[in-house]
Amino acid sequence: MTILFESEELTLGYANQIVISKLSLCVNHPSNVEIIGNNGSGKSTLISCISGNFTGNSFNSIIKKSENSVLEIGSSRTVIESLTLLENIMYFTNSIKLQENSIDDLLTTYQLNEFKNDYVRNFSSGMVRRAELLIAELKSPDLLCIDEPNLFLDSNGLDLLSNLLRRRTNSKKTNILSSQMNTDLFDEVNLEVNLNVK
Amino acid sequence: MLNKNIILKEFKVELRNNTSLFLITPTMSVLVILFPILAENRFQVDEDIFNIVRLLFLIIFITLFSIRRPLNENVLIREINFVGINKKTYFDNKSISELIILYPQVILFMVLFTIFTNTFINSSVPVLLLSSLFFSFNSILTNIYFQISTAFNSRFVQLIIIVPIYIGLSILIAPLWLGLYQEMINIYYMIYLGISLLIYSFISYMIQK
Repeated sequence: MTILFESEELTLGYANQIVISKLSLCVNHPSNVEIIGNNGSGKSTLISCISGNFTGNSFNSIIKKSENSVLEIGSSRTVIESLTLLENIMYFTNSIKLQENSIDDLLTTYQLNEFKNDYVRNFSSGMVRRAELLIAELKSPDLLCIDEPNLFLDSNGLDLLSNLLRRRTNSKKTNILSSQMNTDLFDEVNLEVNLNVK
Repeated sequence: MLNKNIILKEFKVELRNNTSLFLITPTMSVLVILFPILAENRFQVDEDIFNIVRLLFLIIFITLFSIRRPLNENVLIREINFVGINKKTYFDNKSISELIILYPQVILFMVLFTIFTNTFINSSVPVLLLSSLFFSFNSILTNIYFQISTAFNSRFVQLIIIVPIYIGLSILIAPLWLGLYQEMINIYYMIYLGISLLIYSFISYMIQK
């Protein structure tokens, strides 16, 4: 078991405004982590810090990170709207070698096969979220962070996400979810970070 | 390191958000047509004035190109982390793709300016091509650096900051276009090459830092 992310007194914020103060956190690999907090408690800030997308002020907090691959699916779109779904997949998965049928199989699984040549700007939020999950499954990073996993997904989409998390857990990968309450998407949670408790 | 994937993506996005070629170039061409009328309605305007105005229009053209699609730092960082590349790789490939998109348009604009005003610079065609290339390259580097490494992502702030830099870069072009001996032209090329290397090195260092 290796440590993916560790900080003793993690303080994060934007400019001089502190969002998270002196949080002690250690994320092991592999594990399933759930971050829970109300609006404004710093869930998205924390998950973006873990995934390397944080652009605010870390107030000189000492953070230890491993070199493992990380992917974050945030609450806003990451895919490029001017590209088609297939072009997005090719763009985001360019750094890895894919098997010939793997994209088609996953497009069918995520029910996006008939939209693969459509521009992403015409997609609904739920379809965008599915597309991002599909890319995450193709890339199979060591750490997958999902902010607000319930957002935009219907029951079928949540089943797909739940299955993805189960497959990742079985392949010894780490997953972090952040939401306002327990999502019940994990079979087993190894660490729960409650940002409501100060 | 050259990454065809990023360059191809930039081309596709540019083609589908075709602001630059289908909006900026026609707008500038209209301004060029209007210029002789605006120049106090004179039939005869001094050739050197046309060269300076050509340079001025080039600055406006590249400024409009630079602010056509401001990058958002947060969105950009999310994107490059999602792809799995570093900021430096993105910067290099974005610069190359922007140059490939901008440079032909600059040449097209120069040709249109020559046709509409029936004037040409006091040097040769290679001088025009090479000086425009240097100017485009340095402008692109400066612009991308400001966009991806600073919080100045609003069009107005971008405009206020980059225009004086572009004016500074254009000062070296003016003597070339107004006519110089070949030896002097070579010296100006060397100065411009030195400046280009300096800007690229500084920006690369800052991005990696």
